[in-house]
Amino acid sequence: MSSNHSASGEETKRHKVEGPRKHIVAFVMSLALTIIAFAAVAAGEINTTFTYIILVGMAIIQVFIQMAFWMHMKDRGHLFPKIAIFTGVLVVFSAVITALYWVWW
Amino acid sequence: MSAHQHAEGQLPHEPEKATLEGRNKVLGFWIFLGAETVLFGTLFSAFIALRHQVLDGPTAQHLFELPMVFASTMILLTSSLMSVFAVQAMHNNKVKAMIGWLLITILLGLAFLGLEITEFNTYVKEGHTLKTSAFSSSFYTLVGFHGAHVAFGVLWIGLLIAQILKKGLTVVTAPKIYLSAIYWHFIDVVWVFIFTVVYLMGKVG
Amino acid sequence: MSTQAAQTAHDAHTHTHTVKRYRGLLDWLTTVDHKKIGILYMIAGLFFFVVGGLEAILIRIQLLKPMNDFVSADTYNELLTMHGTTMIFFAAMPLLFALMNAVIPLQIGARDVAFPFLNSLGFWTFFAGGVLMNIGWFNGTVPDSGWTAYAPLSGPTFNGTHGMDYYVIGLQIAGIGTLLGGINFMATIINMRAPGMSFMRMPIFTWSIFITSVLIVFAFPVLTVGLVALMFDRLFQANFFEPGTGGNTVLWEHIFWIFGHPEVYILIMPAFGVISEVVSTFSRKRLFGYSSMVFALVLIAFLSFMVWAHHMFATGLGPVANALFSIGTMLIAVPTGVKIFNWLFTLWGGSIRFTTAMLFAVGFIPTFVMGGVTGVMLASAPADYQYHDTYFVVAHFHYVIVGGMVLGIFAGLHYWWPKMFGRMLNEGLGKLTFWTFFLGFHLTFFVQHFLGLLGMPRRVWTYLPNQGLDTMNVISSIGAFLMGFGMIVFVVNIIITWIRPRNAAADAWEDGRSMEWSIPSPPPEYNFKQTPLVRSYDAWWKEKMDGKTEMTPAEPVGPIHMPSPSILPLLMSVGLFIAGFGFMYDHLVLSIGGLAITFACMLLRSVFDDRGFHIDPEEEVHA
Repeated sequence: MSSNHSASGEETKRHKVEGPRKHIVAFVMSLALTIIAFAAVAAGEINTTFTYIILVGMAIIQVFIQMAFWMHMKDRGHLFPKIAIFTGVLVVFSAVITALYWVWW
Repeated sequence: MSAHQHAEGQLPHEPEKATLEGRNKVLGFWIFLGAETVLFGTLFSAFIALRHQVLDGPTAQHLFELPMVFASTMILLTSSLMSVFAVQAMHNNKVKAMIGWLLITILLGLAFLGLEITEFNTYVKEGHTLKTSAFSSSFYTLVGFHGAHVAFGVLWIGLLIAQILKKGLTVVTAPKIYLSAIYWHFIDVVWVFIFTVVYLMGKVG
Repeated sequence: MSTQAAQTAHDAHTHTHTVKRYRGLLDWLTTVDHKKIGILYMIAGLFFFVVGGLEAILIRIQLLKPMNDFVSADTYNELLTMHGTTMIFFAAMPLLFALMNAVIPLQIGARDVAFPFLNSLGFWTFFAGGVLMNIGWFNGTVPDSGWTAYAPLSGPTFNGTHGMDYYVIGLQIAGIGTLLGGINFMATIINMRAPGMSFMRMPIFTWSIFITSVLIVFAFPVLTVGLVALMFDRLFQANFFEPGTGGNTVLWEHIFWIFGHPEVYILIMPAFGVISEVVSTFSRKRLFGYSSMVFALVLIAFLSFMVWAHHMFATGLGPVANALFSIGTMLIAVPTGVKIFNWLFTLWGGSIRFTTAMLFAVGFIPTFVMGGVTGVMLASAPADYQYHDTYFVVAHFHYVIVGGMVLGIFAGLHYWWPKMFGRMLNEGLGKLTFWTFFLGFHLTFFVQHFLGLLGMPRRVWTYLPNQGLDTMNVISSIGAFLMGFGMIVFVVNIIITWIRPRNAAADAWEDGRSMEWSIPSPPPEYNFKQTPLVRSYDAWWKEKMDGKTEMTPAEPVGPIHMPSPSILPLLMSVGLFIAGFGFMYDHLVLSIGGLAITFACMLLRSVFDDRGFHIDPEEEVHA
């Protein structure tokens, strides 16, 4: 292992500078998106379809933020995690379309 | 391989990826999360298909209380931030700080579970049980599966804290910490969709 | 990657400690060696194959003549349900896992899979699930709603006995094992390849297993959810699929087939891989169109998730959905056609050797094409209203599953048998197996196309005389007996071979192309003394052409780190097995006790680090 250390020593230093700031930013953004979603429902006077669009939009943005920053998916070496999650999403997408349009008629 | 081999400060920057075993675990866990995505997605689609089948039972609008859901959401969101701090502390090799963040994470997880149990209790009193209607069955299955994941996460992270205290932070324990954090974020991500699709959309109607 | 791994291994060697190693039965119960787990999968798979085959023979005896009363209508329902479920989940899948385990790490130059412990756990949970489901036979309550378990027939209202509980819980437990296997092989193929083996240098069988694993990982969770919902309906009075309380039966069909369609591709993909390897080896030619083969595999996998509703044309989804799924299904014929032509062009101009494995491969190609053609016929939604639920469908899926996958598995078993056991199967008996099985297969199922077109419904226990069905049913039954005979010959071949001493060379067929043929048959516990360096596609062939007698090593000889054997996977599966019975018979102590065993084993696994042990290949040679 020791040879490994000296090689990555430079990198270690660079990483150490990286503080909690970006995570706090991600947190604040998630917070804001959540509040927008709850407020849209609490207001209760907006048209239903429009509310749905806002809700789903906020959720998707929030999930992207959390996956990118907190689950480190934006970092290098995350090709297969991305493939895994997005393949899963593809299957989920077809299942949800089914539930919406092809179960009751 | 063991604690005495890597004295404090000698761990590589990302100890979870220092060994082939560690890299295998990280990759395998991500593939598992891909499978979990499909699992929750299918539960969601079953819920979406059955959400209006309330029969004589209470409706979503009648049942759900926004302040309660908001509180749960805040708790889980904060705990997710705590576990990312724990991983950051691990990368900086600050073991004590890491254990602190992990402890806060599981305390918040327990609070979330407490709220959920209270919530389910209220619903049952209002005549909304697993047997009431297709809506209630799919609701309890979806939200209950998420709750079970939170409970498992709490037990898992708790066990890991004990292991860290015993064995220290090594290239064997580090991947476990990293993966438990990824798992915890994933649970939070699922919750984002639950509060959106189940609670908020249910409230809208 | 590998140098670092070796270094880690070396570090650990400095304070190694002895691990208890077992012998005899206990060795097999605790093994985490992929080669031994492969053999376990094969034994269990062949056992369930025989069970499912006997069920098929009983079905064919019942249908031998009109208005037969060999078995009752109820028993017939049980037989057809158990035949389908056993063959797909407990015979076909484990035989595929047997080949995967036996071959994949060797083909990619790895010492084991990424997660040896999970590999063992996967086998034991599969086995526990299979045993649990078949226990119904001794208990008098057998699953009887077909392998698709359509609601509400499978629900509590119409199926009040415990029969379907065995199906739901047995499959759930077995499904855990399969999912673990899928994750394991994906991770193995991504992370454990030898240096130099890029994705586009992987043997085509490895590619096919990689894609199969992807399908497993993304399809099985859907089944898990479906089974959980059905289990809640049956055991806790939930209402997912109960129309009386707001449930929806079409939802079950969707969930089942979103899983079910990828599942049938999970069955056929490995056969594609096996056939590619066998055809290329025994034509003594590089596989024609390697990259288009890979592309076709990926495309088929993608399309397999988009076509599930073609199983539901008669449900009434409406013209838009039916048209979309019709077109999607027909599209699959394009990449499949690419594969067929590539095999033909590989054969073209090759110096062909008709070994048993090659006979199975060559028999596979036209048979599978026939299954594909009826598939395109069925994909046409208006025509499907006529074919639906007739023997035409039965003929179609047996052509793709038996004529496709089972022939592929036989080819693979005959081809890799020397690598797995160090013994060549008898070629004469092998050829007898092929001809009886192959002819028997076509006799059984070819006529069923016409039975279907004449309107004979599937899943019905008998039929009336003088409707033009009598003769063809007799022919079909005779064919089934012939297939049974072929299977007996195969078992005899195994036994005869087993008695003889080991005789297989490392490169058993002399024309081996991929790396499994560069190491002894059977391989040592650590597979490769030195991790090989891969210099091209068909890595071993390349070395042979360069006049080498072994692979170019990528590391010096040194002590090899091995994972320790463990009894925990077996105990965890026993726990799940017990808990399954607890749930079924509403016995709280059993369910909690069983789950407690499983969780206790998980706890032990997490708390006690597995340090493994070391083998020094040099010392072994001297000993």
